[in-house]
Amino acid sequence: MSVRMPELDAEILGRRDRIVTALRSIVPGEGVIAGEREMRPYETDGLTAYRQLPMVVVLPETTQQVAEVLRYCHDEGIKVVPRGAGTSLSGGALPLGDGVLLGMAKFNRIREIDFENRVAVVEPGVTNLAVTNAVAHAGFYYAPDPSSQIACTIGGNVAENAGGAHCLKYGFTTTHVLGMDVVLPTGEMVTVGSMVPDAPGYDLTGVFVGSEGTLGVATKIVLRIVERPETVQVLLAAFDSIAQAGQTVSDVIAAGMLPAAMEIMDRLSAHASEQAAHPNYPVCEALLLIELDGIAVEVDAQMAQVRRLCEKNGASEVRLAQSAQERALIWKGRKAAFAAMGRISPNYIVQDGVIPRTALPEVLEKIGQMAAEVKLRVANVFHAGDGNLHPMVLYDQAIPGQEEIALDLSYRILYLCVDHGGSITGEHGVGKEKQQAMGYMYSEPDLETMQRVRHAFDPENIANPDKVFPRTKLCGEKTGPYTPHPLEKAGVAEFF
Amino acid sequence: MAIGIVDMEALISGLPGVEHARRDDGRVVALPSTIEQVAAVTRAVNDHGLTIEIGGSSTKRGWGNPVRADLLLNMQRLAGVREHRWQDLTATVGAGTPWTAMQRELAKHGQFVALDPLWPEHARVGGVIATNDSGALRMSYGSLRDLIIGMTIVLADGTIAKTGGKVVKNVAGYDLHKLMTGAFGTLGVIAEVTFRLHPLPAHTQMWSATSRDPDVLAFLMTKVTESRMNLRAMQLRASLQGCALDIELSSLPEVIASQVDRLNVLVRGCGGTCHVQENLSGDLFAAREQVFGHDVVVKITMLHTAIAGLVHDVVQLGGSAVAQASGVLWAGFRESTAVNALPYLYQYVERARGVMTVMQAREQRQPEWAFWPQRSGTAELMRRVKRQFDPKSTLNPGRVMGGI
Repeated sequence: MSVRMPELDAEILGRRDRIVTALRSIVPGEGVIAGEREMRPYETDGLTAYRQLPMVVVLPETTQQVAEVLRYCHDEGIKVVPRGAGTSLSGGALPLGDGVLLGMAKFNRIREIDFENRVAVVEPGVTNLAVTNAVAHAGFYYAPDPSSQIACTIGGNVAENAGGAHCLKYGFTTTHVLGMDVVLPTGEMVTVGSMVPDAPGYDLTGVFVGSEGTLGVATKIVLRIVERPETVQVLLAAFDSIAQAGQTVSDVIAAGMLPAAMEIMDRLSAHASEQAAHPNYPVCEALLLIELDGIAVEVDAQMAQVRRLCEKNGASEVRLAQSAQERALIWKGRKAAFAAMGRISPNYIVQDGVIPRTALPEVLEKIGQMAAEVKLRVANVFHAGDGNLHPMVLYDQAIPGQEEIALDLSYRILYLCVDHGGSITGEHGVGKEKQQAMGYMYSEPDLETMQRVRHAFDPENIANPDKVFPRTKLCGEKTGPYTPHPLEKAGVAEFF
Repeated sequence: MAIGIVDMEALISGLPGVEHARRDDGRVVALPSTIEQVAAVTRAVNDHGLTIEIGGSSTKRGWGNPVRADLLLNMQRLAGVREHRWQDLTATVGAGTPWTAMQRELAKHGQFVALDPLWPEHARVGGVIATNDSGALRMSYGSLRDLIIGMTIVLADGTIAKTGGKVVKNVAGYDLHKLMTGAFGTLGVIAEVTFRLHPLPAHTQMWSATSRDPDVLAFLMTKVTESRMNLRAMQLRASLQGCALDIELSSLPEVIASQVDRLNVLVRGCGGTCHVQENLSGDLFAAREQVFGHDVVVKITMLHTAIAGLVHDVVQLGGSAVAQASGVLWAGFRESTAVNALPYLYQYVERARGVMTVMQAREQRQPEWAFWPQRSGTAELMRRVKRQFDPKSTLNPGRVMGGI
């Protein structure tokens, strides 16, 4: 996939040397990277199809430095793209060629853990898994578990409101963030929320989480930690159709149970995962994975009920993991699903859409038809409990024109989700990838209202300005349906 | 106020379909019945530089700084469950729907919005959200910010905007509905709300321990919190007449039975004299409403390990308190005791890194009893947000914080 980026601001680039010098006076030593080769690792994130070298990379170490960098950029009209570990699947951390890339990797300390009150105070560069590792000895963990949890950082999780397989029961990042120290794009430092509930006034924490780096940069985050459940059980059930597996999910919910996770993989994705991670999955059209947790007696009783529901819906095989090792292997297969696609297809696009759970059979059938029409394969894995689909469009870049067809199909799948009352993203974020699809999901007044929040936080529109919204808006500028950029019209640039 | 120049009644009569009434005090009440009509009202009033106070059943009208606006916008006609997708555990509801009426409708499919606000028979959905009210269920289901997945709002200039959607998982765009929750109607009018629902529990049981000594029960509350039981709700309520720790368990009947046994063992180990009652009927968790029978009511939020310990002090100061396990305490005082109690509590709470807000104060309110905390590092940012959403300060002007 080749994506050409918007034309750079020549005036800003003309000042590059001065800007680099000024930034070096704020962040001394190796904290400012300006050489092309040294900046190369920052040119892309988890959405590797999009590449762009930043004008300069800054790696501050203190909140004061972050504030000074942002104040300088605000005063000088320089755009800033914040970055955690760079694992975004939507291009959230994609740099701007005429902007500063603000890397938060050096903010990597866990500052405080209070087990009694179940909170941990961490810096944004701490990885998701490191939080769990730091509290595990006392029987706690950090609940949101995006598949990239080994690498992705809490700062990035906050920006994207990261989810994971267990949000069905435990909620998203926003459920677990109590408060933050934030540097606004103006360079001002504020503390939003706190360790105690219901900070008076507006819920600025709530609107900041998931704002994808457009409202500022968090430098300290108060997280809720959760006590490990007494028991965890994982069941695998094989079905002859996705509809049967989907019906089982609905039946489990209707029975009043709230499993920790419910995942479905179709034949293609289960097959690929089998090759990649050897989880010993049964061969079937639809594989359902259900995890229950809680106190042992209750989990036992519920699991018996889940088994009955699987059997009622025609499961050809029902298998309960017998050990922690077996459970880990089942999850390893599921979490390997995206990467495993590389084993069955030269190229693939991972999508992330949400539909009401009940629309699952209909939407999947339609996706199958749409794929057949353009002669492509789509593998599906989904967080079935909350209707979050991850269709993976398989294609071969070597075949001329197929990439465009695959991209088009992946966007039409998103629109299909919206048509069924769903969303264009459940956990990967809008970023660069889906900014145009925002206009399909939300009307002009909806987007214009969101922009009001952005203007309050970032009057000069410097924080990750080329993301989330259909196109960059200036304060006071009218929102409108997507109109092609003049360069795009002239065939000089493309926007995806 | 420009009321002399503009005839409010004539202004509202000119809006197609919007009913209105004049109250005894001469103020005009607009009663729109559609979202478009709400937008027509706010736009017209905003265009004329006038102000609006938003209301429903007025159960919490005394909360926050008092507002004296040109028009009362009453939302009670935007009532009803618009859509209940019970298989998806979601429902879309008009903001004017009384809380209990909504729950009755949702209960037809064995579901509910997992929140227990004050005065649910009267309180309406929009007001519960605007004031971010929550009760004892919060410890197991979260607060409104965890239960709302979408909203339709009307801004002062008449913009109708949707935020979120009808699916539980959705990260497209800003969570504006979180910004609206607890904003006391100062950013926009909440018109319609989509909730994520929970199944009504199949089996629950109440358990209660009473004692003369709140510290004994506070200790017990801590022990229970650490005990990994299936708690659905827990509160410590106390007054000079006595104290009780109320617990609701929810699980399979055999699990509940064994956990009740464990609770009884914990009571015996807590060192004081407690009297235990099982299988109580009646809604003990409505005790918060009795606190509001006092002249002055404060809401205190603290670390949840610290909250139970404060109950003792409230009782010593002559007040009544309900402390919830999620770290929220409600305390009520008579006017005469509040004079000494409030300054003490302000200091205590500040030292403990908590927050105290005055929720209710009768007419004779002391000037130093500010409704909102006086020091806030975020007030300026909130002011900027307000300016973007409501630049003329048309909606509930001055209601929150230091007059936002």
